Amino acid sequence: MSDQAPEMINMGLPAPRVDGRLKVTGEARYPADVPIANLAHSVLVTSTIACGRIAKIHDHEAWAVPGVIEVLSYTSINGQLGKPRFGVSSTSIGPLHEPRIWHDGQIVALVVADAPEAAEEAARLIAVDYVGTVAPSAGFDSDGAETVDASEVAGREDPAVGDFDHAYAKAPITIDSSYSTPTQHHNPLELFSTTAVWEDGRLTVYEPSQNVHGWRNALAAELKMDPARVRIVSRFIGGAFGSKGPMTPRTAIVALAARRIGRPVRCVVRRDQGYTTATFRAETRHRIRLGADADGRITAYGHDGWEVTSRPDDYLVAGTDTTAKLYGFGSVATKVHLVRSDRNTPGYMRSPPETPYMFALESAMDEMAEALGMDPIEFRRINDTMKEPINGAAYTSRSLMRCYEEAAEAFGWSDRDPEVGSMRDGDWIVGYGCATAMYPSNIGAATARVCLHPNGHATVQTASHEIGTGIRTVSAQLAAECLGIPVDAVDVETGDSTLPPAPVSGGSNSTASVCSAILKACNSVRARLFRAVVAADGGPFSGFEPSTLEIKEGKILGPGPVVMDLGDALARTNEGVLEEYAEFVPEGMNADSIRKLYAGQTPMHGGMSGPRIKCAFGAEFVEVRVHRRTREVRVPRMVGAFAGGRIMNPRTARSQLMGGMIWGLGCALHEATEIDRHTARYLNRDLQDYLVPVNADVDQVEVILVPEHDSDVNPVGVKGLGELGNVGTPAAIANAIYHATGRRVRDLPIRVESLLS
Amino acid sequence: MPETPLRSRTEIALHVNGQIRRLSIDPRTTLLDALRDHLGLTGAKKGCDHGQCGACTLMVDGRRILSCLTLGVLVDGASIVTIEGLSSRDGGLHPVQQAFIDCDAFQCGYCTPGQILSAIACIQEGHAGSDAAIREYMSGNLCRCAAYPNIVAAVRSARDRSEGDHAPISV
Repeated sequence: MSDQAPEMINMGLPAPRVDGRLKVTGEARYPADVPIANLAHSVLVTSTIACGRIAKIHDHEAWAVPGVIEVLSYTSINGQLGKPRFGVSSTSIGPLHEPRIWHDGQIVALVVADAPEAAEEAARLIAVDYVGTVAPSAGFDSDGAETVDASEVAGREDPAVGDFDHAYAKAPITIDSSYSTPTQHHNPLELFSTTAVWEDGRLTVYEPSQNVHGWRNALAAELKMDPARVRIVSRFIGGAFGSKGPMTPRTAIVALAARRIGRPVRCVVRRDQGYTTATFRAETRHRIRLGADADGRITAYGHDGWEVTSRPDDYLVAGTDTTAKLYGFGSVATKVHLVRSDRNTPGYMRSPPETPYMFALESAMDEMAEALGMDPIEFRRINDTMKEPINGAAYTSRSLMRCYEEAAEAFGWSDRDPEVGSMRDGDWIVGYGCATAMYPSNIGAATARVCLHPNGHATVQTASHEIGTGIRTVSAQLAAECLGIPVDAVDVETGDSTLPPAPVSGGSNSTASVCSAILKACNSVRARLFRAVVAADGGPFSGFEPSTLEIKEGKILGPGPVVMDLGDALARTNEGVLEEYAEFVPEGMNADSIRKLYAGQTPMHGGMSGPRIKCAFGAEFVEVRVHRRTREVRVPRMVGAFAGGRIMNPRTARSQLMGGMIWGLGCALHEATEIDRHTARYLNRDLQDYLVPVNADVDQVEVILVPEHDSDVNPVGVKGLGELGNVGTPAAIANAIYHATGRRVRDLPIRVESLLS
Repeated sequence: MPETPLRSRTEIALHVNGQIRRLSIDPRTTLLDALRDHLGLTGAKKGCDHGQCGACTLMVDGRRILSCLTLGVLVDGASIVTIEGLSSRDGGLHPVQQAFIDCDAFQCGYCTPGQILSAIACIQEGHAGSDAAIREYMSGNLCRCAAYPNIVAAVRSARDRSEGDHAPISV
């Protein structure tokens, strides 16, 4: 296709996924698929109240079910488990450590049996008496919810610059609007599961994880054992989106059960229990004040945010850290609050800070453009900046307006009649909207081992995680390119804590971090090979300067016409396998980072901090159609243009961005976990009532990869794309709905009832 | 392995991917669990256990069904095709499997076995005549990675190829 030609600039080849065959044949074994001999099955029992204490657990009937082997509850733990540490773990709540109930659906028991049917039957027979139950706080506006200043409890500084109050008071055009986003759950298709196998005092856990090294250390601490005797295996992960980033308390509980009964135990968590025993995206509220000159220059940006969290853990996303640096705001004042309530602890979910905060800001931007009578793209162009306004740090690269131009062109933005409600197609009112996407280019310390074998095959080992992003594929491509061998001659091993550690697969850091380590290891392998080739007596490159050699397509090339087959070179080196291990520490990070990585921490350099700002950008456009009578909303077209530095693989990059845009569609129109205000319990905890986009909700989705060179962002020049795609779509849809209907919906999701009079 | 002490067991025979497999199962065991836990066929996935996600889709006697909502004892004697039974003996991929790779119709791959079996049925049923029809008849299979446009492209491409080659899509 001719329109793809310019995209080849600074892009790798669109190689098919290296694990595609395994995934289409059913041979890919996700953790709950791994066959284990003599396996016992377990089922969680969870609380039916959100606040109170367990007085008694009646497990007599459960024990009477044939096949039941063990029932664990707070009465039987006896100090055998250490408490989870919030951070690497999803919560500090040790659900079986005490009789206290902190939230709805808290684990109160684990029932183990020979067969899943027996475990399920027995689990349903467990009855719990509660005492001290009080009306729980469900979140915002609930009695007993405690609002605290997030800066004070988290030790952070709210981004601010200039005199906001003065600038806002003086601005000729102002808007002052409030927005909200709901509770959302990741709902990866794969159920959460843990399979624990003990052998000679060593523990192997098969569990979908985005952080095997972190978990190994956290699990060892909870089980009070040496991390060297714990292994986490997670070769395939059936979707994650952040839900499998922090370890949950279940892992240690299942491992303890397996140790006690002397037999492997598997626990596959029911979908409804996943809503309360793991994390979620907390609901947020926002107040935004924007002031602008008549020529469209923003002079004042004020953003107050409120985020719900649990009682004991201050989980915070504080998206103002990114939004405050998005445009050339004249003055900025921000403040973030946490609202502690009787809920399970939230956690990160795809674009954790950006999804709610950018929805609010990019909606406000549209409102301001409307107030100015200005095209929303032009309004953003006027406020585009190469230096963030808070500290004046420069972006290493920023192609936001190029993204707008390309997406607008492909979308046909020039066909838009700016007048609200002016575009119609029969019974459908048509609206066009757009919004900015941004995501920081984070990077972490990472390690990798690369082996080049005498047969010309290579092995890449790194304990990163294949959550569907294509990390195995891009790793194979990078190694193939560096070593001059075909992609299918590279085996990539990931998802095992016995491999060299890599960061948590979160914050869109993996490609940058892991590929930087692989590149370093490959360069060492090449250097060793070249040294051997020039040292070999009588070889074609004998006595050459190693730095003059290169490898391409299975051949070693020198400065002259002589070439040497890679296979011959490997045969002559007499080195056997060329194996190199590399540690990559990002610029500006402490050398101590590698030690911390081995200890299970994830030292990360955030793209929005430091002397230069590293960030990927995109522009997202949507067409919505709102039915004149029913107010049904359809989204027939979405176009996104994204600039993310070097694109390692345009095929996997497109898929990720496309999936992200559809996530944004779900966020705008479908997704919300409903909470009963009186009981603080989730109501729609399954895939029937928690709406996610289905195939029929999605029509045309176009992804444009805007060429961008950025050699300053990191050694491989890549910016993460995994979370960028869903950042702008919710606001773009809300803005398009405004254009169609004249109704500014500031609370997500936008449903039919939001648009009825 | 010790005999599992359950309340009662029922003997059934399933024709799975062309082979007769005899099983002794708890009457509460779903077809999905029978395949996964008793026959080691873990290609079919459990995403909800409530018939809401489609990840467990299988072909039973030529029709796509949700194996998590089907008790094993109710399909005694039935002919079942799972994702493991689609490739030819020499390892060649089924045209729909190949189309899913070619169109990058998956990311994490967890829903993929169910999507592929639904896709085969969608074409066989004559519900792949247009992109709109494909979207509608593939909507029982959720994909949280949201590979939907690529799934539609894969179904369309497998359909076109089978029509061009006069080789009807079947399991």
